Amino acid sequence: MNANLAERWAELPDLLAGHVLLSLSAILVGLTLSLPLGIYAASRPRLAGLVLNLASIVQTIPGLALLALMVPLLGGTIGYAPAFLALMLYSILPILRNTIVGLQGVDPVVRDAARGIGMTAREQLWRVELPLALPVIVAGLRTAVVWVVGAATLATPVGASSLGNYIFAGLQTRNWLSVLFGCLFAAGLAIILDQMIRLLEVAARERRSRLAGLVGLALAVLLTVTIAPRFVDFGPAGRNAREAGEVARMARLSDTTIRVGAKAFTEQYILGALLEDRLAGAGGRVERRDNLGSSIAFDALRSGEIDVYVDYSGTIWATVMNRPEPVNRHAMLAEMTGWLWAEHGILALGSLGFENAYGFAMARESAEALGVASLADLAPLAAELTVGGDAEVFSRPEWVMTRDSYGLSAMQTRAMDATFMYGAVRDGQVDLISAYTTDGRIAAFDLVVLDDPLAVLPPYDAVVLLSPGAAANPALVDVLASLIGTIDDDAMREANRRVDLDRQTPAQAAAWLAGRIGPEGAAQ
Amino acid sequence: MIEHAPAVLDVRDVRKTYAGDVEAVRGVSLSVARGRLLVLAGASGCGKTSLLKMINRLEETSGGSILFGGEDIDGMDPVALRRRIGWVMQGDGLFPHMSVRRNVGLIPQLAGQDPARVELRVREMLELVRLDPDEFGERLPAELSGGQRQRVGFARALAGEPELVLMDEPFSALDPITRDGLQQDFRALQAELGFAAVMVTHDMAEALIMAHEVAVMREGQLVQRGTPRELMASPVDDYVTGLLETPRRQVQAIAELGR
Repeated sequence: MNANLAERWAELPDLLAGHVLLSLSAILVGLTLSLPLGIYAASRPRLAGLVLNLASIVQTIPGLALLALMVPLLGGTIGYAPAFLALMLYSILPILRNTIVGLQGVDPVVRDAARGIGMTAREQLWRVELPLALPVIVAGLRTAVVWVVGAATLATPVGASSLGNYIFAGLQTRNWLSVLFGCLFAAGLAIILDQMIRLLEVAARERRSRLAGLVGLALAVLLTVTIAPRFVDFGPAGRNAREAGEVARMARLSDTTIRVGAKAFTEQYILGALLEDRLAGAGGRVERRDNLGSSIAFDALRSGEIDVYVDYSGTIWATVMNRPEPVNRHAMLAEMTGWLWAEHGILALGSLGFENAYGFAMARESAEALGVASLADLAPLAAELTVGGDAEVFSRPEWVMTRDSYGLSAMQTRAMDATFMYGAVRDGQVDLISAYTTDGRIAAFDLVVLDDPLAVLPPYDAVVLLSPGAAANPALVDVLASLIGTIDDDAMREANRRVDLDRQTPAQAAAWLAGRIGPEGAAQ
Repeated sequence: MIEHAPAVLDVRDVRKTYAGDVEAVRGVSLSVARGRLLVLAGASGCGKTSLLKMINRLEETSGGSILFGGEDIDGMDPVALRRRIGWVMQGDGLFPHMSVRRNVGLIPQLAGQDPARVELRVREMLELVRLDPDEFGERLPAELSGGQRQRVGFARALAGEPELVLMDEPFSALDPITRDGLQQDFRALQAELGFAAVMVTHDMAEALIMAHEVAVMREGQLVQRGTPRELMASPVDDYVTGLLETPRRQVQAIAELGR
């Protein structure tokens, strides 16, 4: 637990800096767009209605979806840009709405008085209408700050680092301390910023320049302290210091920056850490992009936003190549490799040696009680059964084909986070789940994976994928090629188990895997 | 008529037609001289407020012309025109976020006067409307009584040394005693400063007590124009007689109590 706490603290400066930078820039740009727009629209009722409707539509898009949509809109760019754009759009509505409502709410008598005594339109706005609408506008700004600081935790899956990294990674690895860290710091940040804006408004209204100065100073200090880690290089105290000595001796990738991507589940974190370890060991400078959404990871690789990550042949086959028909494992690998290279210049370096397939798992006890050993046994029971799975699986062709081939359409489906489904099936909250076959909890929870006699479920070999840019770097290809064929199903399952059940960090599990594989080249 | 001083304001055959061919003002001519108070009276909807708002171009005329200081207001910048004309409205129209001092000093300040002169002017104006600048200067309008707020409203209107003051029902939100005191004070102010004034009211008693001249309007037209004495002596029609009925009855009722 202490090691866990120390590791969380060590991550804080970078994540907090990312979070503050992202949310504040989104709010500032949102403010500079929506305030003038609101002022302009307030005296034009039809325009006001139109922009408020547009902004409301943006607001009804769930935050995570809005963030995810920005990635394809920006041509596959991941990281700061799509997150910034989505959050900026998100901040517009409350400020815009309150500017319009606040200005429209100014007493018409006061408005007439301003005009009647001979104020120009500009003087009316600046001396009368804006000061009177200020409390309402500030209330909108405060709402925007709280929303955006909260929603910035959702920037993690599109590859922007934020306090959401704590939450997403913690959820996947069942590290509740990490989840708590993310929640507390995000909430604390929102509350502090909210209160500072409130005090600034009080200072402005009551013309208390000392209070304004103090709050301004506090805000400046907060920003400097949180953002500083992004701009200051802490030198040998930095994250990769532990490898520094080794690196110098065997630098083959000297000073190449390699961005390693990973999707948002335990196995991916471990493999990301393993790749980082190998690449850093060869002298490369590694940047991690964890917690990428499944299709976002591939888009990011294609556009060169990341250089390398591990994906699964069946996933590429079904969701990228759009091939519904199953083929045998080796044919799929060969065809996928050729297709990726020809279509996108992406190099599928080869299989790591294990397969992480979708399988349907039941608690051994209930499987035996029901006399179920294979998917074919389920059809007569389908109406009484509930199947749990992660959010993705029920919209994937694998489930559709399994359902249709085995006659399971009467079955109830229940989507939940992958972390929770193993416990749910063990405890009987659902009858079966769409498990990942390398998950350590299958053995630990005494689950059985049902047979697939019709061979509907496609193979899922874990393959190392390199972006077109990375594929052109022979040293990089060499280093990664040393991992091909080195991890079998048991090894991966054990590494996953260490994180999910023994509460080791992904880096620790990766170190264990690396030890088992042996030094670079030994396995070849 | 009583044209012994040059007219500050000259309204000539002014019309106002609103969208949908609603004729609010149908050819009204009036003039007001320096130091005089003209009261526009009549039932609500008779066009008196529309006429008032055309004088400082809060509304534009649909026909006719208005001369201010001998110059047609159509050729003047509306903002510059309004700064030369005091504006007092019903329910004071003070800016709720500004102190009394800032409200009163606003017009000189907008005119670009230096702060010391503005401050001097504010004190002078507050003393003129009988409010102690040290006691009331820093208060917000919400911290004043209705009568005090209306005094600040007058001080603000007069701070720009206007040649003409326009007033839209300035006393109607006040209780009778406060109203009486303010009406007297206004007459004294006008006598001291010599500005011309036009006031709109629906209260005939107020019109008779305060006006040098009353103009009675009905359905956008001028029905009768004269001194209060002339009006009382010879109302031109039943409409004017009807308007005079209420004050007349009140006076009689009070007189009978004294017998």
